[in-house]
Amino acid sequence: MKRRLLALVLGMVVLLPSITFANGAQEEGDDKPVVGLIMKSLANEFFMAMDEGARAYAEEDGSFKLITMGMNSETDFDTQVNAVDSLITQGVDLIVLAPADSAGMVAPVKRAIDAGVTVINFDVTLDKGALKAAGLPEEFLFVGPDNTDGAEMVGNYLGEAIGEGGKVIIIEGNPGADNAKQRKNGFMKSIETHGMELLASNTAHWEAEEANTLMTNLLTKHPDVQGVMCANDSMALGVVRALEAAGRGDVQVVGFDNIPAVKDLILNDKMLATVHMDGTEMAILAFNAGFEIIDGSRENLGWVQSPLILADKDFFK
Amino acid sequence: MNNNNTVKEIDSNSGMNHSARMRSLLNIFLKEVGIGIVLIVLVIAFSLGAPRFFTLINVGNIFTQISINTVIAVGMTFVILLGGIDLSVGSVLALCSIVAGKILINPSLPFGLAILLAVLLSVGCGMIIGFLNGIICETWKIHSFIVTLGMLNIARGMALQISHSKTIFNFPKVFNQIGTTTYLGVFPAIFIIAMMLVILGSVILRKTVFGRMIFAIGNNEESVRLSGHNVKFYKIMAYTICGGAVGIATIMYMMRMSIASPILGVGFELNAIAAVVIGGTSMSGGKGSLVGTFLGASIMGVLNNGLLLIGMGDFARQIITGVIIILAVVLDTYRTKFSAALNS
Amino acid sequence: MASIGNIIEFNNITLSFPGVKALDNVNLSVREGEIHILLGENGAGKSTLVKTLCGVHSPSSGDMVFAGKPYSPQNPLAAINQGIRVVYQEFNLLPYLSIAENIFFERLPKKGVLVDFNRLYKDAAVILKKVGLENLSPKTAVENLGVAQMQLIEIAKALSGESRILILDEPTATLMPDEIENLFGLLRKLKADGVTIIYISHRLNEIFQIGDRVTVLRNGCLVGTHEASELDIPSIVKMMVGRSMDSEYPFDESVIPSDTLLDVKNLVFKGSPYPKSFQLRKGEILGVAGLVGSGRTETMRALFGADPKESGEIFLKGKQLIIKSPKDAVENGLCLLTEDRKTQGLILDMSCLVNTTITDLEKVSRKGFLNRSQEEEITEKYIDEMNIKTPGLNQATLNLSGGNQQKILISKWLYRDSDVFIFDEPTRGIDVGAKYEIYLLLWKLAAMGRGIIMVSSDLPELMGVCHRILVFSDGKITGEVNRDQFDPETILNLSYKEYLNE
Repeated sequence: MKRRLLALVLGMVVLLPSITFANGAQEEGDDKPVVGLIMKSLANEFFMAMDEGARAYAEEDGSFKLITMGMNSETDFDTQVNAVDSLITQGVDLIVLAPADSAGMVAPVKRAIDAGVTVINFDVTLDKGALKAAGLPEEFLFVGPDNTDGAEMVGNYLGEAIGEGGKVIIIEGNPGADNAKQRKNGFMKSIETHGMELLASNTAHWEAEEANTLMTNLLTKHPDVQGVMCANDSMALGVVRALEAAGRGDVQVVGFDNIPAVKDLILNDKMLATVHMDGTEMAILAFNAGFEIIDGSRENLGWVQSPLILADKDFFK
Repeated sequence: MNNNNTVKEIDSNSGMNHSARMRSLLNIFLKEVGIGIVLIVLVIAFSLGAPRFFTLINVGNIFTQISINTVIAVGMTFVILLGGIDLSVGSVLALCSIVAGKILINPSLPFGLAILLAVLLSVGCGMIIGFLNGIICETWKIHSFIVTLGMLNIARGMALQISHSKTIFNFPKVFNQIGTTTYLGVFPAIFIIAMMLVILGSVILRKTVFGRMIFAIGNNEESVRLSGHNVKFYKIMAYTICGGAVGIATIMYMMRMSIASPILGVGFELNAIAAVVIGGTSMSGGKGSLVGTFLGASIMGVLNNGLLLIGMGDFARQIITGVIIILAVVLDTYRTKFSAALNS
Repeated sequence: MASIGNIIEFNNITLSFPGVKALDNVNLSVREGEIHILLGENGAGKSTLVKTLCGVHSPSSGDMVFAGKPYSPQNPLAAINQGIRVVYQEFNLLPYLSIAENIFFERLPKKGVLVDFNRLYKDAAVILKKVGLENLSPKTAVENLGVAQMQLIEIAKALSGESRILILDEPTATLMPDEIENLFGLLRKLKADGVTIIYISHRLNEIFQIGDRVTVLRNGCLVGTHEASELDIPSIVKMMVGRSMDSEYPFDESVIPSDTLLDVKNLVFKGSPYPKSFQLRKGEILGVAGLVGSGRTETMRALFGADPKESGEIFLKGKQLIIKSPKDAVENGLCLLTEDRKTQGLILDMSCLVNTTITDLEKVSRKGFLNRSQEEEITEKYIDEMNIKTPGLNQATLNLSGGNQQKILISKWLYRDSDVFIFDEPTRGIDVGAKYEIYLLLWKLAAMGRGIIMVSSDLPELMGVCHRILVFSDGKITGEVNRDQFDPETILNLSYKEYLNE
């Protein structure tokens, strides 16, 4: 019920602009291909930036019409299913989708493909088992970052900073989220490479305040901590604030995503580094891969990796 | 039967017989301190299980961690005492943070004025939304569950809309410093604010006409109306107070985290309701106390901290917290029965 | 002892509730297949007798004989199993379920674990035919029915099992004349089928339309059982009221009503289209008589602003009052002691102190802060003055006896001190001693020049205490009787006037 009402109210606030946009695209009536971009929560700054960037790109490029849709929350899977179905009905040529549920979104994807719409999966991979069960290839084309690689990269950077045998804590994302799992795996790899000691690994559900409380409590338990790896930057913000409150400027923190708020922290040495991921760039890669498939110049299989860049102090200078 | 005693007898009992005095002491103890026993047991258990638990610095940390929930729960207690509920507090917190955050980072304002305005706007914004909650509930006689559920979505949507879902940061240094200031090594500034609000709220509830009306309306709204009171006014005021408390909690949150964001505060309503209910306030209204609410918030904070320190995993912590919430309320029903048996 | 032809016999039934003898040594027999009318004032014991018969109450002493065998039902189900069914005044239907489901709710026909709907609807149709509702589909939801139809569904429900005695508690209270005629037709048919009917009513004329025999109860005692054909309305009224009433009620000749205090002109409120006007003088005790549901309470509530008014003017000491809420009324010097102490009067879980000072907290507070010791002083004063028996002023009113609860309620209005005191059933359910204290209090208020309105179902009480009695009947004021013309017959006739005309 909560979900429904949320959908209703937020739908008016968030979705109305995109629906208006969609109508505009159809009224013009030329034969430019129409692309539907379905993202996750627009409450997430990453997707909000992607939304703005992708629309600016589509306007500049001019060769296609773009409809963008954002959801109410990271896990708002119902609305996403409806969004896919409505795009099919509108007869778009290409759907670019960041699944809110990697298994649950396979069925609507299959419906779209059956209806002759090309679908590109980006940001989070669709579940291989579910793909196979739906009669789609397990290697269904994915455009997106290698979260494991990115986490390992920033983890190694931390490892070099605190040295062999450094004591670290991992602050995990939502248990059950694919990218949370991948990022933790990446951190674990770097811990192994640099012979670091893992003191604790707990979830703060992507949340700044929860990470703050968690870090404060973990500091009590493990005052000897030297480095903290956070699965996203929001949690890194909470962690940095906890260290500040405890007067522990010596503990190094790394994050993931590069949200605007961490830039100053990194420049002021309150945070060591994060992983920069460019949402617009990822969306553009996905659009192009889609057009290539429509052209027939690419098969709908494989992995187009979107770049991840280590963002340390030098990156921002 | 009670009725056999006359007033005269009671008066002459001022030098009361021993058992009666013991009984009344025990009664007060059970009424106000019952939930405190649960807290003391937890504190002892964690102190034994984790050597760093009962240290100045950790106790100070717990104080910080319960402050925001305590303040929201203080506001929530007013509403629950009337038999209502406010599900919108988490979203309102987000909206207030955006409003206050925009002011705080406004470069044209001197930071002292910016902070003052931010506080006023946050509290004002919370009060306006609380007032709207109350007006809607009372004008159309809709249950607050539905109205505040709607408001939960409206406030969240507005926060996202105004902020374009961007986090606001770079607040004045002084502002952020308050969030990490601690007095005497154990009393964080925001905890002191929270305690002041608990005391202020208790005084309002126990000593003022307004507080008397809150309890009376929570017990029997119709009787109070027929006694010639404007029941609507008091009910709307309670929602407004709740909103105002959220506005204060917002400032505390921003001081502590040094950010404002449209996505913060998700699920805060449930923590606040849990604190109120663990604290012995009846969901049907008319019975409860802010001391209880504070103890309820403390139990939740101590659990969260203590379970981590004794090395409990994330999932086990969540399960145990749930169990304790239910247990505390179950124990409360026994306490009520026992205290009723004592009285008859 | 059991004689042939009697289906049920009550032998020396006595039933005591704390402080009250609800039934006192009642002997009554009902013949098989008759329509037996049970009469009495409110509180005479009719309902208690019926509840004893259907297993809700167990008698303190005495026994019952049902169809020649000793009968002592332990619970309502036991009575139902014997074929004794009651249709109460308040319907007991589930509005969103179908007629058929309502009728057979207690024993739905099953096919395995599922409800056998085919059989359910078929069986329901048969019973609907019995009560003359054959044109209704058994699948209709009950919420779509009118009051008369619901009544018949209740009867159908009662008839769904083996039904030997059917008890109807004021079945015609809410029916239109033609609907009543229908109901009577059905009752006559049931009687012909051998069902015994016990019929409780306030409408005296109905007795002669369908009653075989009439039993009158008064104060829990049996007054007598007679053939309906041997009675007329005056003799029934005499049986219902006939108790002495001089010493029981104080009347102070020295208090003489003076100027007009309250003037109510053409008051109309929702559900009562007839404009009502009356006046109250200083120092006057004005009684309000009428049956339950005749509009007495509703008029007082509308006057007080507890329920919305549609039109009408109210003048107090010549000044027009705008009363939109109880707050307006109280601030203008009116107070209302509600009929229902527990849901509309007391804040049960709170103390005597809270309940006493609630009507005027301004008097005991400075700048919004309560002065506890002043509150205690005031509460103690009233506990003392009113002789309220409580272990202390912090005692929750829940734990007090009915009389003491009522005294707390009176205290709160004395504390507020109004010009007009409206008391709705102030003595209901309290013992004789406390009643007397309340009467004395009314006189004290009258002597102070206040105006008092007392609504009561107890006619002797009204006649004993009041200067004047206003009589309500079916939503109208049918008469106004001065003390020198007080006569139970006159007043009862006025109360039944609108019902008799139907």
